[in-house]
Amino acid sequence: MTVVHSDAGTDAARRGGVRALWAGNPGAVVQRGLIAARSSSWIVVLSGFFEPVFYLASMGIGLGALVGDVQTSQGVEVPYAAFIAPALLAVSAMNGAIYDSTWNVFFKLNYGKLYEGMLSTSLGPLDVALGEILYALLRGLLYATGFMIIMQILGLNLAPTAILAIPAVLLIAFGFASLGMAVTSYMKTFQHMDWINFVLLPMFLFSATFYPITVYPEAVQAIVMAFPLWHGVELIRGLTTGILSSDMLWHVLYYVVMIAIGLVFTTKRLRALFLD
Amino acid sequence: MSADALTAHPSIDELRAEALEWGRKPRRFGSWYVTEHWVRAMRAYGWTIIVGALGQPIIYLLGLGIGLAMLIDAPIDDRGVQVSYLVFVAPALLVTAAISVASEEMTYPVMAGFKWRRYFYGFNASALSSPQIANGVIAGAAARMVVAVAAYYVFIWIFGAVPHPETGWLSIFAGVAAGLAFGIPLMAYAGSIEDDRGQFALVQRFVFMPMFLFSGTFYPLDTLPAWLQWIGWISPLWHGAELGRVATYGAPVAPGMIAVHIGYLVVLCVAGYVWGRRVFVERLAK
Repeated sequence: MTVVHSDAGTDAARRGGVRALWAGNPGAVVQRGLIAARSSSWIVVLSGFFEPVFYLASMGIGLGALVGDVQTSQGVEVPYAAFIAPALLAVSAMNGAIYDSTWNVFFKLNYGKLYEGMLSTSLGPLDVALGEILYALLRGLLYATGFMIIMQILGLNLAPTAILAIPAVLLIAFGFASLGMAVTSYMKTFQHMDWINFVLLPMFLFSATFYPITVYPEAVQAIVMAFPLWHGVELIRGLTTGILSSDMLWHVLYYVVMIAIGLVFTTKRLRALFLD
Repeated sequence: MSADALTAHPSIDELRAEALEWGRKPRRFGSWYVTEHWVRAMRAYGWTIIVGALGQPIIYLLGLGIGLAMLIDAPIDDRGVQVSYLVFVAPALLVTAAISVASEEMTYPVMAGFKWRRYFYGFNASALSSPQIANGVIAGAAARMVVAVAAYYVFIWIFGAVPHPETGWLSIFAGVAAGLAFGIPLMAYAGSIEDDRGQFALVQRFVFMPMFLFSGTFYPLDTLPAWLQWIGWISPLWHGAELGRVATYGAPVAPGMIAVHIGYLVVLCVAGYVWGRRVFVERLAK
């Protein structure tokens, strides 16, 4: 037995209240995702980058000609393309994270039976949850960086603080991924998955993505503000336009709480599904 | 034995005649049998269809038609006719609804029929012929399109986006025609796929998305620079939306162009059908 426990690193990581949940090795799950992407789905993975780019091109060029300048929530006029680009960045962070943490996880959970294999090794549910989320974040990082380069070339980054949009995208993706995975663990059929789209579509259209939130009456504004995407859009828009305010800390806090809730929830669900 | 006498009674010719008789109806109405299967199979996700058909129009009309319209104060000038933004986008959104039904019904379910659940082989082992199976898929998908587009029409009419209701209902046909012009070639492609390597995700991203975004859905096509306008010209969405705009608000489209729009949609349907029929016949004979 002492031989088994001689690995000091594993031993240290396994100490404490969460030892049944955590082997300190989510990297193994990330690595598996990367290898799987290399062998099969890389072109699909890569294509996700084009979605916000197409939206930006279509809306920025076509609608921009109709709309002209738009006032941000801080009361500053910016060109329409510079108004929607940060929103599209936030949306693509949301979509990427949700796609990865729902469709992908659903398949692995119910068809691939991947997690049963993983959990029969020394990995715990928290390793699996964190590993899957970290893999989703890597994709998010790739898309966000590419999109930021395009924004830079088109002159849509109006301030140096735009560079902070990249960590902000990761924060947003982390929030959606951790919550999305928890929700997915309740889904039993493919048809249930469609309900996710019914939540995402209105959030996409109403979260001050294509026009300022001020077009709505106060009551509707309050509802929009309750949803996570709006906080993400405002945060990134503040950073890329360089119109900063202390309110942005609330947006960050919103996501920190969302991540915490999502992680606890997901770990509990995975534990209930596989270990109890 | 009386039982023996009964079973031994019919001659081989009579048995053949009886078997042929039982096969006659399926042979004749086979396409509708497959349609029935397709529509019944939708009950598995009936709520998704209903909520999608009712919810999506409301969300898009509220989000784009009304929200975005707040930013675009000036009316849209469509070749000399001034209409509000909502009136302008509504027909294109209606056509998009039909096309998104096509991209749902004529991709994975077709692949499932050939590859995963293989029910097409089951149909084909009965009296149904391979082309009838293709017909049934098309008719089944068209049935769902009619429901989705008709619901959409009711909504745009309620939202006040149909200035000419006397011709506006014709946009339902424009929607279904565009949906089929996109869907039938897609069905043929889906039937020809042997290995799933994410082709449909690529179709979604590189065909459906650009078509949705660059077909003059949200603004007149000539707002785009010339090097992007070709996407609209080749997309069934633009041709369908133009027909819808003629119907709902009398967009000034020349009669010649109306013929071009209809002709293009028909050509896509027919070419897709010829291809799809061949794919079905060849693959089911394997």
